[in-house]
Parts: sequence; structure tokens; C-alpha cells
Amino acid sequence: MTSWQNNRVARDARIAAGAALARGKVVEARDATRLLEAVLRSGDRVCLEGDNQKQADLLSRALLAVDRSKVNDLHMVQSGVVLPEHLDLFDRGVAKKLDYAYSGPQSARIARMLFGGKIELGAVHTYLELFARYFIDLTPHVALIAAASADREGNLYTGPNTEDTPTVVEATAFKDGVVIAQVNEIVDQVPRVDIPADRVHFIVKSDKPFFVEPLFTRDPAAITEGQILTAMLAIKGVYAPYGVQRLNHGIGFSTAAIELLLPTYGERLGLKGRIATHFALNPHPALIPAIESGWVRQIHSFGSEVGMDDYIRARSDVYFTGPDGSLRSNRAFCQTAGLYACDMFIGSTLQIDLQGNSSTVTASRIAGFGGAPNMGADARGRRHPSEPWLKAGAEADPDGSALMRRGRKLVVQIGETFGDKNVPLFVEKLDAIELAEKLKLDLAPVMIYGDDVTHIVTEEGVANLLLCRTALEREQAIRGVAGYTDVGRRRDHAMVARLRECGVICRPEDLGINPLDADRSLLAARSIRDLVRWSGGLYAPPSKFRNW
Amino acid sequence: MIATKDIAPAERARSTSFNEASARTRLELLLDAGSLVEFIGPEQREISPHLKIFDLPEQFDDGIVIGHGRLDGAPVFVAAQEGRFMGGAFGEVHGAKLTGLLRAAREIGTIPVLILFDTGGVRLQEANAGELAIAEIMRAVMEARNAGVKIIGLIGGRSGCYGGGGLIAGCCSALAVSEPGRIAVSGPEVIETNRGVEEFDSRDRALVWRTMGGKHRRLLGAADVFADDTVQDFREAALELIGSIGAFDLDRLKAEQVRLADRLRRFGACEDAIDIWTAEGIAHAEAVPELPADQFIALANRIGRASRDAR
Repeated sequence: MTSWQNNRVARDARIAAGAALARGKVVEARDATRLLEAVLRSGDRVCLEGDNQKQADLLSRALLAVDRSKVNDLHMVQSGVVLPEHLDLFDRGVAKKLDYAYSGPQSARIARMLFGGKIELGAVHTYLELFARYFIDLTPHVALIAAASADREGNLYTGPNTEDTPTVVEATAFKDGVVIAQVNEIVDQVPRVDIPADRVHFIVKSDKPFFVEPLFTRDPAAITEGQILTAMLAIKGVYAPYGVQRLNHGIGFSTAAIELLLPTYGERLGLKGRIATHFALNPHPALIPAIESGWVRQIHSFGSEVGMDDYIRARSDVYFTGPDGSLRSNRAFCQTAGLYACDMFIGSTLQIDLQGNSSTVTASRIAGFGGAPNMGADARGRRHPSEPWLKAGAEADPDGSALMRRGRKLVVQIGETFGDKNVPLFVEKLDAIELAEKLKLDLAPVMIYGDDVTHIVTEEGVANLLLCRTALEREQAIRGVAGYTDVGRRRDHAMVARLRECGVICRPEDLGINPLDADRSLLAARSIRDLVRWSGGLYAPPSKFRNW
Repeated sequence: MIATKDIAPAERARSTSFNEASARTRLELLLDAGSLVEFIGPEQREISPHLKIFDLPEQFDDGIVIGHGRLDGAPVFVAAQEGRFMGGAFGEVHGAKLTGLLRAAREIGTIPVLILFDTGGVRLQEANAGELAIAEIMRAVMEARNAGVKIIGLIGGRSGCYGGGGLIAGCCSALAVSEPGRIAVSGPEVIETNRGVEEFDSRDRALVWRTMGGKHRRLLGAADVFADDTVQDFREAALELIGSIGAFDLDRLKAEQVRLADRLRRFGACEDAIDIWTAEGIAHAEAVPELPADQFIALANRIGRASRDAR
């Protein structure tokens, strides 16, 4: 007779094997490796929770220590490859295949290991893609997750960094998988239930809190006058004319400058309430002055940020918080919000080519995609109208029927023509293409495709690509704001002048901006100390950002 | 929109961060409006003879502005290091300009000197010339003081006051410092490199500031006045110090020796600045770094160990 519940039987057997090491659901940290040896089977798909911020570091080390004769050739399906242990697994042969989304701190090593054949690569995804595949063809057999606390039944409190956890648990627990959580503490009652106990099979108490990195803190003291100028151009040249209220910001210094100019420069332009009111955004400390000045109505977050907990708790009108008062973030929902409910994405990149394709890949690094491609892409499934979306759509297709025309999301790339260490932002050919050729990838790792990009903002001006009608116009519009880079110097001056006349390119003076006014005194906060002051002492920056 | 240049000078001085301003802006706003007259200005292009050997960019004033001007109507000599050029480091020309200014002050004998430090120490690329310059400057400071000149250091720049700059600061008649200002000889990275991260974690910026930062230096008496981080506050601090510095003689040097020996005896065993503050009887010493300027100044005036007899 055909059995239709083989997976459930197998899952129960795994849990039974693990239960021998547990008291109830609780397993001692020293037994974590034995637990994994009991529960895992060679070749399993395993999600080792590596988020942007919250890392299952104890379980990573425990997995690295398993007996290879018992557990090997795992297929890791995780959003972030962040800790060194995540890659040590492949060096040791515990894991063989990898599907992931983001590898910021490990980007150089992952490139070497891919090239050396140490890792069999499935694909590099965006967050939403990988989450989607958890429910179709990459469902984990075992999920190793991290939470702040658990009660003895296994109810989990993730803390403000809920991030990927609900998505990973949903896919694993409801498809006959096993969920193992490391927690910082075991308590009688969790502050709130982020993950209900019946989805959690084992709890391991970690000897020290999981590792959290402040990834979204930009010190205002490091913002340059060039970045302030590009921020002024963006506010006056893009935010204002489209009336962008719902948006997502990247995490670079240019967008931090925009956040710090809203209560000063934006206020003087009379834009309060008309732009930048609703965000899909991590709790950026740089946004505190705009929040305190009453600019921002609502923010939904992918994850949290170190030091922002008390501030968020006290500003629940702005942030999403649980009944316990602390932030509830959720990467899958926030990515969806950024894709469908935001009218603009604005962010920095490392390279832009002549078609407007951009990439953060350089010759020796594969940082992965994370969320930017979902934020920075037109949502073809979008159906609700909004003013910026309709206006952008009309600019792209002025002759189309208004009732049948698609709107367009504003996808804005912002940066100085020469970036960090004077590396040019504009290139004839992306390094990503060379890398794809070298590694024989099916696709070059392009962060944002040129056909999604609507505006490029540099210190030389704003290029509105929606108004370009031909590939040649587009190329010259890009060259026309590329400054003294090789790409910029090879512009056709006559054509660039024509593009300026018809408003495709706007120079600072065309927008009534004097570059000499781009002064640091315009920033609402010029130091981390100022941000603390703005927050009324509620923001507690990590020590590495202090100068007092 | 109002451009910054249209705002009245005093208002600008109040709204301009000393920490962020350039050397020239600091002097422009510190002195009476329009009174600065520069010596050996950038138009004379007295540049470093060493940097081009290393293919490094030069600056026409070699990173220091010297000159004279007026403070509340009274004449002063001024020197301001540009911390954004090579971290304000001392090179041959840079040092010679300051030495010359101090010798001029010595010859005249009655005009105070304000030194706006913003330096990481000596330029590695011209180390011998730079070290010699430090020695010359220290001598020139002491000779000028001996001739009756008041020499005041103002410290609040981004590069702090390190290396030879810290030594020169120690020779001045008095110092004013702000919260972001730092005063020391060996920098955090140098200490970590030589003594290990257990001794000093240079990336723990809270540790760096409570060890070398303005508040600690004020509480220890190493700085005489604590200024909020605006150019106007430093102007007022300079005026206060000019009005309060006493005569320089052997008794004063002896008093300084006693003050330093006493400090070492009382706090030599302390592991951390917080221990020192606690030993000074400050309740909630760990909260000192968070205190706003006005509250801190009140605290420092109550217990700060500056002695008007010493230095």
C-alpha cells in the first residue's frame, strides 16, 4: 500500500533521536553538536539562520563540529552567508551545495571558494526569491534559528530582530521539518510570542547572546559636502516634483544625507508632509531628526538596529511594535512592502554602465543581492495608482492611453562620480560580466537592471531616464552626469546640451541649487552625539560610533 | 534660502562647530570680524620640501595658518593647524611657521598667543625635521612664557592633539578643550599596536574618549576650561583664560610639579577614567560622558583639579 506520510514519519524519527538529549525541548549547549548529529541526515537541506543582523552563531559552531561520517554533503539554503563558520562548513565537507541571497562580510572568500570548486552553487537570490523557493523547491529539512528568549514550552521571542525567522519556521515546520532554536535565555514567560511553541522542536541555550552587528548606522560626521549636494539634488529634483511619500532608502551615506536634510533643507522648500512620510526601512539612526520634526508617519522594518531599541519603543506611533513594546520586524513582509507599496527606491551602488545597469560586484567579490533588486525594480504586478507612479508612467509613455498605461516605480541611483578611494562610479563594462564569464554563470550578477532605473543623481546633476526615447539618448544622459570619469568625458557635448534643454538632464543651477550652499551646516545632525540629543537620550549608539 | 555667508559673524560663531570648521574658518570666527592678518599666507607658497619626494599633495600654507588679529579689541597672535591636511601633522615648514610666531611674541612680550591645535603629531614623511620642529616649538613656548607671554591652546579639532602636539600643549600657559577634543601623546592605535588590544582597544571609542577626551582632561585639570563645541565658546574660553593667567616664574613651575605628582599619587593605580572620577567623589561617574555641556561645566567647576597657581 502507498504511504502518503513518509515525511512525517521521518520527521518524528528525527525528533525522537534528538529527544534523547533533551529535557523537554531544552538541550544543553554542550550537547548541541550531538543533537545535530541525531537530527540531521546527510544531504539534508538546512537553513542555518544567517540574517542581516541576527546570527545563529552557536548552532553554526555546533554544526561545524559534527562527525563528518555521520553528517555530510548538506545543502545550505540561507539568506545570509555572514559568519566565517558559514563557509568553514564547505571547507570541512559538512556542506556541499549553497543557495543564498547575501554574503557581505564573506564576499571575497565566497568568490574564491566558488572559483576553487569548494562550493557547488545553486543560485544567488534576492531575499524574496529565496523565501519563495523555501515554499516550492528549497524547503528546509532542518532549520537552525536564533531567538532572544524561549519559555519551556518553546514559545520564542525574537527580540526586535525578528527578520527572517517567521518565514524560515513557516516553511520548515509545516512541511515536516525540524526546527532548532538557539536562545540567549530561557524564561518563565516570553515578552511576546513571535514563534508559537508547536513549531519549535528543540531549544539550545547559548552561553552568550547571539552576534548582532550595527549595519545601518551612518556617522553624520563622515558625510561629505559632495554627498550633501547630491542629496539636495535628489530632494529638489526627484522627491519634490513627483511628491514621493512612500519609499525605501538604501544604506549609504548619500541617503543618510537626504535623511538629515529633510528637517532643514526640505523644511525650507516647504516639503514637510508632501514627501518622505512612509518608509520601508530599517530603523536608521540618521532618520531620528526627521521623525522628531514630524516628517515621518510610519516605518516598517526588515530588521532592527543596535542602539535603537528604547527610541523605537518610545515612538510606537512611527514603528511597528509588539504588545511588549519592542520592535517587530519581518524581512519577508517588509521586502514585499518595498516592492509593492513604495513609489521609490533610492540607493547607491558601486558601478553603473552605459545602459544604467548597476552592480556591487567587483572582480574579486560576490556580495550577493540581499533586498535591493526587489526594492529597485518596477513591480509588474502592481495595480493600485498613486501620483508619483502615474506621473513616472506618463513620462515613460506620454502617448499611451492614460487608462491602459502602466505606472512606473521611481528607481533612483545616487552617488558621487568618483566614489570611495576615487574609483569611478561609471564604467563601460560591469565587473559583474567579467565575473560571470570567469565563473561560467548563466546570469551576470546585476543588482538593478538598467530598464528599471529611472533617475541617476550625481554632483553633476539629475538624469531622468524616463524621458529618454532611444538607447543613444539614454547613454548620453548617463554620460552627461558622469562628471570627469572616462565615461563622462566621452560624452557627445552637443547631444548632452540638447538633453539638458529638454529637461532630461538637470544641472544644479537648473534646479536653483548653488553647489556652494552644500555645506555641512545644513545637516540636522552633524555627529552621532547630535542624533542622541535629537532622540532625547533614547538612542544609545554602540561604542564604535562615539566621540565622547 | 539664506546662505551661511550672509549671517552676522557672531551668529555664525555661535552656530559653527569648532570641531568641523576648517582652520581658516575657526580663526575668522574666533577673532574680531575682519581682523585676521596672515603671515606667510598661501599666496607665498611656502610648501613642504619633502612631500613631493613621496608623490604626496602639498598645501600652499603647509597645513597651518599663522597671523595676528584682535580679540575683543586687544591684539593677539594666532596659529591654527588644519586637521584635514595630513591630519594636521607637523612638518618642517609647518613647524618653522609656528616657531617664528612664538619668537615674534617673545620679542614683543605682551601679546598673547592662541594655538588652535588639530594634529596627530609629526609627519612620518618628514620625521626628522618634524621632531626637530617639536623641540624648537617647545623651547620657543617656554622662552615666550618666560618673557611674559600668555600662550593658550584651544583643542577641539577632529585630529585631536597628539604626539608632539600633546607635548607642546603641556608647555602652554593654559588649555581650553571641548568634548570631541582629545589630548594625549601616544594615540589609541599606537598603544594598541605596542601593548595589545587587552591594554587598550582603539576601536572602543567610548574608552578612547573617556581616557583622552575633553571631559576627562578637564576633570583631571590637564585643561583649564571646558568649551561647548562652537567657535563662539572657544572665543569666550580664550578671553577668560587671557584674563586669568598669572605670572610665570619658578614658583609656578614648582606648583605645577606638585600638582602633577599629587595627581599621579592619587590616581596612578586607577584602571579606568571612571575609577578616577569616582575617586574624585563624582556620584554616577559612569554618566559623566552623557552629561550635557552646561551640567558638565558646573560639575567640572566644582571638582575640576585645575589650579590657577600651577602650569
